[in-house]
Amino acid sequence: MTTTLSKIASSLMISQALTSALEVMINKTLALSTANVSLEKLIQKTLTLELEELGFPLSFTVCNAIENPQIVVTTLTEGVDCTIKTSLSTLRELKAEQQITELIKQNKLDLTGDVKVAQQFANVAENLDIDWQSELANQIGDIPTHKLMQLGKRVSTKVQFAAKQIKADASEYIVHEKRLVVTRSQIDQFNQQVFEVSEQVDMLNQRISQLINRKANH
Amino acid sequence: MPASEQNQSPDKQDSTPDNTTHFGYKTIDKEDKVSMVAGVFHSVAKQYDVMNDLMSFGVHRLWKRFTIDASGVRPGNKVLDLAGGTGDLTAKFSQLVGKEGKVILADINSSMLNVGRDKLRDKGLVQNIEYVQANAQYLPFEDNTFDIVTIAFGLRNVTDKDMALRSIYRVLKPGGRLLVLEFSKPEHELLNKAYDFYSFNILPKMGELVAKDGDSYQYLAESIRMHPDQETLKTMMDNAGFEQTSFKNLTGGVVALHKGYKF
Repeated sequence: MTTTLSKIASSLMISQALTSALEVMINKTLALSTANVSLEKLIQKTLTLELEELGFPLSFTVCNAIENPQIVVTTLTEGVDCTIKTSLSTLRELKAEQQITELIKQNKLDLTGDVKVAQQFANVAENLDIDWQSELANQIGDIPTHKLMQLGKRVSTKVQFAAKQIKADASEYIVHEKRLVVTRSQIDQFNQQVFEVSEQVDMLNQRISQLINRKANH
Repeated sequence: MPASEQNQSPDKQDSTPDNTTHFGYKTIDKEDKVSMVAGVFHSVAKQYDVMNDLMSFGVHRLWKRFTIDASGVRPGNKVLDLAGGTGDLTAKFSQLVGKEGKVILADINSSMLNVGRDKLRDKGLVQNIEYVQANAQYLPFEDNTFDIVTIAFGLRNVTDKDMALRSIYRVLKPGGRLLVLEFSKPEHELLNKAYDFYSFNILPKMGELVAKDGDSYQYLAESIRMHPDQETLKTMMDNAGFEQTSFKNLTGGVVALHKGYKF
């Protein structure tokens, strides 16, 4: 199945489309970052990511250019400095540099090669800081940006409220109407009853032991 | 999408036995052909990149990325981008081989080479690229020079393809690889018919509209049809001495990437 998917992906050049899009996005993000992100130490270094969900590797090479270093994304596996095998979900946790060691300990990540390269890439990702509002204002102007941001905040608040409401309604339906699951208090009450029964059994057990001992002494 | 003229002969078996050869579907004197094809590329050089994007709907960028991914290039490598035209492959190779490596952008056509040089310089890619005006049949390099040789959309324009392949084999280092990216034969008949319609009816009109040169794009369509199919080209590479030759069809065989090694 994986081989078939891999063949289809190869025929449709999905990996090339993805690396192409990633390359544009990454370099655009680096250019927009207001923080001082230095790629100098990583020039000519390559980090390869082998994600469980993808049938091909993603290699990120920092290349020297006259103005700013750029990152080239390929599926090449030759001349790689560090390879990380992991999953997409773990990748989200990888942003913090110190997380790498912890994730290796948890067997969520397999790393071969120079760990410093991985740490430096993680460091770059961690330090990226983009002022989206300012970038948008450069494109469409200050007032439309302000209005758009206000609208965004309002939409965000409403979406959060709606999400909370849907969660509450779903909970009400499942717990009280359909009685598919029990509430936390019901679980606590049940636990308490089990505890009490357990204590009574222990007491009874002790009482029986005492009676047996007493009878044996007589 | 011709990358460059290379003493062109789109005949499937290269030049004809007498002193004539083909220019698209026309039979002409060999001597005339060089100047005729040179004319095609001098004419389209400035609009070349725009036309590539238009004609292939941008897919040529993915074909070229596929070639880079198959090249196994690494820092420090020496790469020859033959018939490199406006330097799309050279740009990527230059970034990947680093300052210890080197990329030679070679093309027989000076106009294409000039456009490529300007484009790469504008991108800030200067440190490890050299430009050489060269004929693929008579490569002006020492034996065993390059780790990788690529020829993208250029081989079909070479007059004597067998001679060019032998020349490439000579300049490759042992362990080096050749990658030939070229138009080929679509795998499915339906696609073949649609492709024919597009090539002979739409392509020349697009060329007329954008590059003000419909004839050059008519030549392009004809030269593609005259180019050896996948298996024939693979055999030609075998005959030139390449080992472990293989090809991969892209976009249903509209384009194929051939690969071969020198050991």
